[in-house]
Amino acid sequence: MLLLPLILLPLAAVFLFAFRGGPQSFLDALKAEEAQFALRFSLLIAFATALTNALLGTFAAYVLSRYRFPGQRALSIVVNLPVAIPTVVVGTSLLLLWGPIGLLGRWLDPYGIQPMFAPAGVLLAHLFVTFPYMVGAVKPVLDEIETTYEEAAHTIGASAWQTFRLVLLPALKGGLFSGALLTFAHSLGEFGATVLVSGNLRLRTQTAPLYIFAQFEAGNITQANAVAAVLAALSFLIFFLLLRYTGSARRSR
Amino acid sequence: MSIILDRLSKHYTGQAIVEDLTLSVAEGEFFVLLGASGSGKSTVLRLIAGLARPDSGAVRLHGRDVTMLSPQERGVGFVFQNYSIFRHMTVGENIEFGLKIRRVPKSVRHARRDELLDLVGLVGLGQRYESELSGGQRQRVALARALAYEPSVLLLDEPFGALDVKIRTQLRRSLREIQRALSVTTILVTHDQEEAFELGQRIGVIDRGRLLEVGAPEDLYARPRTVQVATFLGSGSVLVGRCRSGRAQLGPVSLTIPPEVAHEEGDRVRVLLRPEQIALADKESPQAISLGQGDIVEQSFAGPLRRVRVRLPPLPHTRQAAPSQPYGEDAILVEAAVPAEDPPPPQKPWVTLRGWHVLAQPTPRLLVCDRGHGKGLAMAAAGPLAEAFNATITILGVTGKRKTAQKLRESLEQRRADHGLSAEVQVREGDPKEQIVLEEVDLRYDFALLGEQRRWLRSRRLRSTPEVLLERAVTPFFVVKGPAPFSNILICTAAGEQSQADIRVGGWIARRLGIPVTLLHVTVGTEEAPSWARSHLERGVATLRALEVESRIQVRPADAPLDGILAQVTEGQHDLVVIGGSGGRARSFFGGGGSHISRQILKRSPATVLVVPQGAW
Repeated sequence: MLLLPLILLPLAAVFLFAFRGGPQSFLDALKAEEAQFALRFSLLIAFATALTNALLGTFAAYVLSRYRFPGQRALSIVVNLPVAIPTVVVGTSLLLLWGPIGLLGRWLDPYGIQPMFAPAGVLLAHLFVTFPYMVGAVKPVLDEIETTYEEAAHTIGASAWQTFRLVLLPALKGGLFSGALLTFAHSLGEFGATVLVSGNLRLRTQTAPLYIFAQFEAGNITQANAVAAVLAALSFLIFFLLLRYTGSARRSR
Repeated sequence: MSIILDRLSKHYTGQAIVEDLTLSVAEGEFFVLLGASGSGKSTVLRLIAGLARPDSGAVRLHGRDVTMLSPQERGVGFVFQNYSIFRHMTVGENIEFGLKIRRVPKSVRHARRDELLDLVGLVGLGQRYESELSGGQRQRVALARALAYEPSVLLLDEPFGALDVKIRTQLRRSLREIQRALSVTTILVTHDQEEAFELGQRIGVIDRGRLLEVGAPEDLYARPRTVQVATFLGSGSVLVGRCRSGRAQLGPVSLTIPPEVAHEEGDRVRVLLRPEQIALADKESPQAISLGQGDIVEQSFAGPLRRVRVRLPPLPHTRQAAPSQPYGEDAILVEAAVPAEDPPPPQKPWVTLRGWHVLAQPTPRLLVCDRGHGKGLAMAAAGPLAEAFNATITILGVTGKRKTAQKLRESLEQRRADHGLSAEVQVREGDPKEQIVLEEVDLRYDFALLGEQRRWLRSRRLRSTPEVLLERAVTPFFVVKGPAPFSNILICTAAGEQSQADIRVGGWIARRLGIPVTLLHVTVGTEEAPSWARSHLERGVATLRALEVESRIQVRPADAPLDGILAQVTEGQHDLVVIGGSGGRARSFFGGGGSHISRQILKRSPATVLVVPQGAW
């Protein structure tokens, strides 16, 4: 009972402040070019991250779950490492690697390739930070599917691709869906790594959380809160979808 | 022939899972592969289906060599033990899956689906999902799914394993009907002999990756060749007697040996007694073949039959090979099955034989322990001995580290080739002593061979392999110090050895090598051997004479038994010394004394030493 206000009050405050000047000022705040860009950019990055990691994460989960090889345990720990590292550290290390004076960046710089302080850098950071969520959602499902499942499809005559598409993928649907949603949600709210690798360039690499921070610092509470309210609403939506999905999955068992 | 397996072998990390397996299954035949868990039977199915690749050998399906083909190209139907029904598809979609892959038009697919649902008795359940089915229904779906695309052969891996008995019987019957109706060549793998009897037109019994015997159920039951098959199929006892004048001597009775399993004089003869071949009488009758009077240990009622277990007093020169007896038990235990409506048997019945079956003389097997380097004395001795004994050889290498297993295997193969041996190579991981004991302890081998150790360790804790074997081995083992075969055997009776095992084993070797034997008794303090030793030695000579082995007695006075033995080895120019071992009973039986002498002989004898554990053979 004591905890409830602790969680609910800050959420309520976001909406209260967002609408304090009336719905018109809320809409105006959202209509600002920078706000529009930040929201669109954030959604785009989140989509790209979820999609890319759905592919990479499933692949990693498949390899970790199906094959036995030396260093497998070490690899499964490494794959989960990004959750344990503070996101700011991730940002710093990415800068040190890909930045203009970074280990790899300094060789790319002369060719005009500059991943940092560009959308590509933001995507890179988000992929890195959210990678474990996808593996974490898909691998348990894969572990539960016996290897004979695929072997059965093989003996019946399905090629490797057909087996994946017709047998494995439908069984993985749930894990993929919740993994992608989690990835999406995390990408939408990512701040620590993004603030470093993006350079916070408005209308170029500024994501929604960065925009909120920038506006807040400049004292534009309404602007900041309008975008914050949208982000919060999106998060609720994703959370709701996840709840519904896992709920129905549990019932069908 | 529908399925031909030609000398298939498969290893995993140095361990043979399937070994040189050859089998052919006829068109439309229902073949059952029977074996305990871990016998490699499932691997055989996986090799046929292409889910595993053999290391060597070939798989042919309907005359086509499919060894190198993927599972998809083989077109076999496979029913897995856990069924692996696709859970996001309905029963109907599962069944249609193979047809969909083959791009069969929808209408044909649906017709075939309905046909199969009808065949396996699942009409009306086509729309269900796996989670809505019972175990038996799942098994039927798996079967229908495997049959839908008219597979070239049907493979079933323990399909009834997870079901309860009543459903199992029902499903077995319907599987047999379906198989007959479609006359699809089928191999079913199981560990359940009842299932094998009921389903198999022929049964193959597999053990440790080797196909032991193949035959019709009736033949395998009544006329098995090996102890493993005799005991795996049906119950009964296997008694080991000796061959005397062409007949099997089993305690007081002498049984005929059919010509197709001829034995040589003095050979061990294994006789299988099925429960229905044993009758229980309340008085002795002179016409009956009677094993003697025993005590009823246990009775149980089993519907039409009453199973009675009877304990017979120990029979001379006879021991029980199966079922294996608890430690220290030398009584003979037989089981009789008598009609339940007969009057109950007396408490002390006379056990008579209505029939018996003599098992084939097994090929002797040698276990050669090699380290993959060094002089390889054991390896060098193995060839001539195997030839003289007409034996097969297994080379065992043990490594402490997983990484070196492959390397060890390669160097063992190389050494095998260098010595011109035809042998199976096995690599195990772990402590060498432990692994050698483990390998020899289950009586698969007749002899083990070890090279001489480079250094003998003094410490009690760090003992050498021969020392450990001296205490724990149950198979006779050679510690090879020179070339084989031998020309002059010395059997030591000095260590106070009561058993005749050393004389029997020494005699067996002498007979096969055609060489004489010297029986040695060392006296301490007197010139004359005591009378008990004299009679022991004379019995030994008689035993050897029966084996047609020439022998002489040597009594030698010395300060200590050990000195006498070592002096005799040198002076008599013996190249094989036979001593008794303890057969795993060292500490309790002799304390330290006997095994101390044996240890010293192992260490100091210039000639090869053969240790015969008590109770061996």
